[in-house]
Amino acid sequence: MTNRLRMAAMPAVALVLVSGVLGVQVANGGGTFEPLKPADPCAARTVTSQADGIDGLTERLVLLGIDGAACRLRVSREALTLELAQPGPRTDAEIDALHDGLLAAVRRMKEDGSLPPASALVDEAMDNADLNGFLEAAIRAIPDSVVNAALKTDDVLTRAIDDLDLRAILANLDDQQGINQQMEVAVTQAVKDSLVDRLRDLIGQG
Amino acid sequence: MRRAVAPLLAVTVALVLADSAVVTLALPDILRHLDATVGQVAWVLIAFNLVLGLAAVPTAMSFTRAQPRILSALGIAVFAGASAWCALAGSIDVLIAARCIQALGGALALVGCLELLVAEYGERRGVAAWVAAGVLGTATGPVAGGLLTEAISWQAIFVVQVPFAVLAVPAALAVRAAPEEAPDRHRPAVRPNLTLALLSAALTAALFLLVLLLVEGWRRSPATAALTVSVVPIAALAARPLARFLRPPPEVEVAAGCFLIAGGLAGLAIPPSAHLAWTIAPQALVGLGLGLTVDRLTAQALEMRLPRVRHAGWTIGARHVGVVVGLAILTPVFTADLEDAQVPAQEAITSLVLDAPLKPDDKIAIAESLGRELVDQQGQVPDLHGAFAAADIDPEARPAAARLERDLDAQLERAATRAFRDSFLIGAGLALLALLTVVAPGRRRDP
Repeated sequence: MTNRLRMAAMPAVALVLVSGVLGVQVANGGGTFEPLKPADPCAARTVTSQADGIDGLTERLVLLGIDGAACRLRVSREALTLELAQPGPRTDAEIDALHDGLLAAVRRMKEDGSLPPASALVDEAMDNADLNGFLEAAIRAIPDSVVNAALKTDDVLTRAIDDLDLRAILANLDDQQGINQQMEVAVTQAVKDSLVDRLRDLIGQG
Repeated sequence: MRRAVAPLLAVTVALVLADSAVVTLALPDILRHLDATVGQVAWVLIAFNLVLGLAAVPTAMSFTRAQPRILSALGIAVFAGASAWCALAGSIDVLIAARCIQALGGALALVGCLELLVAEYGERRGVAAWVAAGVLGTATGPVAGGLLTEAISWQAIFVVQVPFAVLAVPAALAVRAAPEEAPDRHRPAVRPNLTLALLSAALTAALFLLVLLLVEGWRRSPATAALTVSVVPIAALAARPLARFLRPPPEVEVAAGCFLIAGGLAGLAIPPSAHLAWTIAPQALVGLGLGLTVDRLTAQALEMRLPRVRHAGWTIGARHVGVVVGLAILTPVFTADLEDAQVPAQEAITSLVLDAPLKPDDKIAIAESLGRELVDQQGQVPDLHGAFAAADIDPEARPAAARLERDLDAQLERAATRAFRDSFLIGAGLALLALLTVVAPGRRRDP
């Protein structure tokens, strides 16, 4: 082996080995093996739920609502969720952003046609509502087409969101039962209010 | 008995140098058993290397005035006694104190064994045996420590050293070696010792950080981690045949070795996944580099320099101060990076839980359970299994929850891997600095 070859062979072998190893690793995604990066909350996101009825609707609404709130606060959905999960007082900006985010979620779901018709929610709402028996029977007797003509889901949800005390809910996030109760009360109240208003309108027109 | 003398002395050299990193895989067990903090437990590693690094040269000086066999036997006996004390330590302070004594005995034993091996084998073969035993010990330390911790306990690491060391005491006394009375003619070999120090700092990154990543970040058992890092010593064994085949000049061999270590560490910084297979090729590069550099540099630092024992002291000092410097640079970097990794990890976990194909009640139950678990395990890469086991979820949702658990574990692996990246790259930088010390032009001597 010549001197020149002896000088060059080992560095060449080292260079080939290092380039080969690093090349294979980079080609297979080396350097990008990092935690999932939060998506842009201002970009439209498709949300689904494994739950049916009001639970499923509420979940989709909350997921879209947090996105909207995060977009308004210029943070990621995940950062806002973690922040809201911490105990402590909420800022007015957070409450307002969440309220506006939820309303924007209702509008978006209405626009993309993913809001269920009101009749789909009425039976579930009636099960949970402590209504006068006569009134409940009267409402249940109304055909779905009439219910859907009388009740607009987006109107119900908007009323429910306006009724919700978001600051109280966020202050007691550990009390899941309490939150469910508040949500049910707000949604049920919104359905009742909307129905009663509509009935009043119909009676008034009659 | 006579035939066993030199092998026992070589084993002693390997044991002392293995002790430099032998406890790396046992640190989590020591932390739990002795109820210590992460900072305290790091001193189990740092104290040994610091004392060995600082004591090596003064210890070597004592060998020019006393009988090497007596000092060596004394050093090995102190090393054995301190090893037993380490095994019996009931508190972290006692363990650290015992490790300091162990290092003092180890320093005496190391330089003494060099003199005794030279007396047994002759200059060339004796130095070669001493260097080879040291490289073997350095490379296999973490592997042996991990296997013993997994199979028995962390105390076993120290217990198994005692009989070997006890047998080496009469072996040392059996060697007739006169004190080296050579005048102090040569200055320490600055360049090879500096390269050794920088490489030791870089190799600390390879061994110390990799086992931490495997055990703490990727949640592999100490035995699995030990078997995984065994690639380094195996590859180191392949370095000699490669060097014999290519026959490069010594400087070129060392420079190529430094480059291989830098490349291996860069590879460890960017694995494409948390699969153990992705660590094998980078480790093989590190092992090859280790085999090409450490013994060659040690030989260069000792070659034609008298008194030999003092120059051996300088190389031991350089290596172990290098390890301490490596730990001092890397520990704050990766602990800070691990802390910084918490936010992206938590956000990734939150994202997956929010979008999980589970009913809202199950998501909330898992989120609450995860929150409690993350608070309980603050300061370490969390094990999420307890959270999923404790969560009150619908039995029908268990398969989806199990998938979510796997996805979350994958996110934690990603976060931990990312957190170790900068430290591995700093290690690669140290190896490149070592390469610079080799290729930089030397001072021109006047004719």
